Amino acid sequence: MKKVILLLILLLPIFVAVSCGGKDANSGDKKKIVYWSMWNEVEPQGQVIKQAIADFMEKNPDVKVEINWNGRDIRKTLQPALDNKQKIDLWDEDLERTTVSWGKYGLNLDEYVEASYDTTEGKPYQDFVMRSLIEVSKSYSKDGSIYSIPYQPFMFTVMYNKDHFAKAGITKNPETWAEFLDACAKLKNAGYIPMTVDDAYVQVLLGYQLAKYKGSDWVKKLVLEGLWDDPVVLKAVQDWQKMYELGYISPNVAGNKFPQGQQEIANGEVSMYLNGTWLVNEIMPSTGPDFPWGQFLYPTVEGGTDTIYDTSYGSQGFQVNKNTKYPNEVFALIIHLTTGEWDKKLAQNTFGAPVASTTDWPVQLSDAKDLFPKLEKVYPFAAGIEYNKDKIPTIVANFIRVISGQLTSEEFIVEMKK
Amino acid sequence: MLKKGRLTMIVVFLAPAIAFYILVFLYPTIRTVIMSFYKMGTVSDRFANWSFVGISNYIWLFQSPLFLQSLSNIFFIWLYGGVIIFFFALLFAVILTSGVKIKSFYRSVIYLPNVVSAVAMATMWIHYVYNTRYGILREIFNFLGIEKLAATQWTSPDNVFMALIVAYSFGMVGYFMLIFMAGIERIPKDYYEAATIDGANVFSQFFRITLPLLQDIMRTNVILWTINAVGFFVWSQLFSPLVPEPGTVTPMIYMYQEVFGTSTVVIDRNVGNGAAVGVTLTIIVVASFTITNLIFRDKKIEF
Repeated sequence: MKKVILLLILLLPIFVAVSCGGKDANSGDKKKIVYWSMWNEVEPQGQVIKQAIADFMEKNPDVKVEINWNGRDIRKTLQPALDNKQKIDLWDEDLERTTVSWGKYGLNLDEYVEASYDTTEGKPYQDFVMRSLIEVSKSYSKDGSIYSIPYQPFMFTVMYNKDHFAKAGITKNPETWAEFLDACAKLKNAGYIPMTVDDAYVQVLLGYQLAKYKGSDWVKKLVLEGLWDDPVVLKAVQDWQKMYELGYISPNVAGNKFPQGQQEIANGEVSMYLNGTWLVNEIMPSTGPDFPWGQFLYPTVEGGTDTIYDTSYGSQGFQVNKNTKYPNEVFALIIHLTTGEWDKKLAQNTFGAPVASTTDWPVQLSDAKDLFPKLEKVYPFAAGIEYNKDKIPTIVANFIRVISGQLTSEEFIVEMKK
Repeated sequence: MLKKGRLTMIVVFLAPAIAFYILVFLYPTIRTVIMSFYKMGTVSDRFANWSFVGISNYIWLFQSPLFLQSLSNIFFIWLYGGVIIFFFALLFAVILTSGVKIKSFYRSVIYLPNVVSAVAMATMWIHYVYNTRYGILREIFNFLGIEKLAATQWTSPDNVFMALIVAYSFGMVGYFMLIFMAGIERIPKDYYEAATIDGANVFSQFFRITLPLLQDIMRTNVILWTINAVGFFVWSQLFSPLVPEPGTVTPMIYMYQEVFGTSTVVIDRNVGNGAAVGVTLTIIVVASFTITNLIFRDKKIEF
């Protein structure tokens, strides 16, 4: 008897673990979909998605959706969970990450995007939403198929204060570096600091300047192979050194810790900040909805290979588990979230871009709306300058020194070659 | 000889603890050591997907300027931070155990930063102390008329390392002060009374009674501080949330990037490198523990 009790005590923890972990996820009559979200429940995106899912369950009483709010920790938690066969039917994250890093777990969605649905006005899904993003999503996969459905689109632009531009007498957005310098001069004369940046995004400035000269593939090669002697590097750094010397950069950039530079935009001290269109939502608590937002694309440089329409753009992406029992129901949920009422609410409540072609854009992003269809080459984040993770901290520190007058362009090259 | 029934009870009570120890501590440790000799893309990759690389992960690590920089950073965090923290912790501990009134109030105030989350503390330091436009340092130096210091950008690449150490040390003083206080309070008052009668002043009493009798406490604190410094992560992450800087990168940050990748671009990962960082840090802690024990000889002090 004692042995039996001993055995039971020893087995108790195992029994508890198994009974908790192995519980039948499809208990009850309903089809249960488990969704791991990249959002936190309290974020605007989380709030809208939560309401949209409640609405979906009301309209589909045979489906129950369980949400697990991971936040950005999903980058760490999802893959081990999938490797250990945890039941997860749907998840989301950056479009590139979902396809490149997690594509092997994803369902091929070619057939689903080619079909038409009630809310797509008779068109195939891929023609109803932003087709360019569907193509971007496919470009990340090895076989050219789609494994991640885009939503919450974004693009990298110069985010600026339209009032400042109007008061400075700038009537046309700059398209070339010379026009950009001219706009900076007018802003300075009007009493504004033209440009600011934070430590989190400072490398983007250099990445874009380099990419406009020789393309983002070359920028990647530069940082991976250490081609710091290339004359283009010196030229690109000199361009930004000149920005400092002309007094076009905020004097606080050396110490600006994210998001202090963004706050310089919000409080009207500075006019421009190179960032994703998500900036509107990020600093909405400081700016309020009436802030006069404008967007224009990073200008071209003289003798450069890349056009003004080459920039980073993409979206978040929904991915369906290839082992899900309910692929049709999961895709129905994606359609519910990315078209019609909920695409609109997601755009409105998060001050972000909608993914469906017929949905209204928030007024704060009206310039970006016109630019989006014209975009050409997709840059990776920071135009590829972050591909060498061993080198990027040094690039950031030294480039901050350049744009705050502590280092010359020539000294920058010397430092980078160390 | 133990009675059979007693042996059974020992087994019953110890088995769950040992089972969990093996499961959540020993197994991951052994697995990490093995992983450090392999290359794999994700932390949960199957063993079949691992490829053996010998010690090349370690060679690669010690050829990486950023990893060497991160090791240098934790050494100086340990050194400078240790000096700042131990100086103030000892000072406050001595003052508070010398019979000041409302001791528990002061003790609570100095310990308070330990109760506040690191995220809130770092945010306060970055945005309300070091801020170049409205930070408290700027206000203080402006008030004192020292304009050069008021204009200093405390979080610039050249200053961020010391800014990080000062901010972190501020929170840690209270923690070590409490341990020192406990050590001082167990020293019999008779020693101090006798020393006072013999004419010893407070400094003599401190250097000849308090400090020698705190030797074992000092050893404990040095070991605790070393473990803290080697595992330095959260504050670095908060000071440089997207891209680490040379002044804020630590081995744990480096390991995090190797294991989970960066938050912006999608790049190939080698979790084996991350495991090698973990093993290296463990060796550093064990070596520090051994050296500390050699310096503070294990004399049992009894009162």
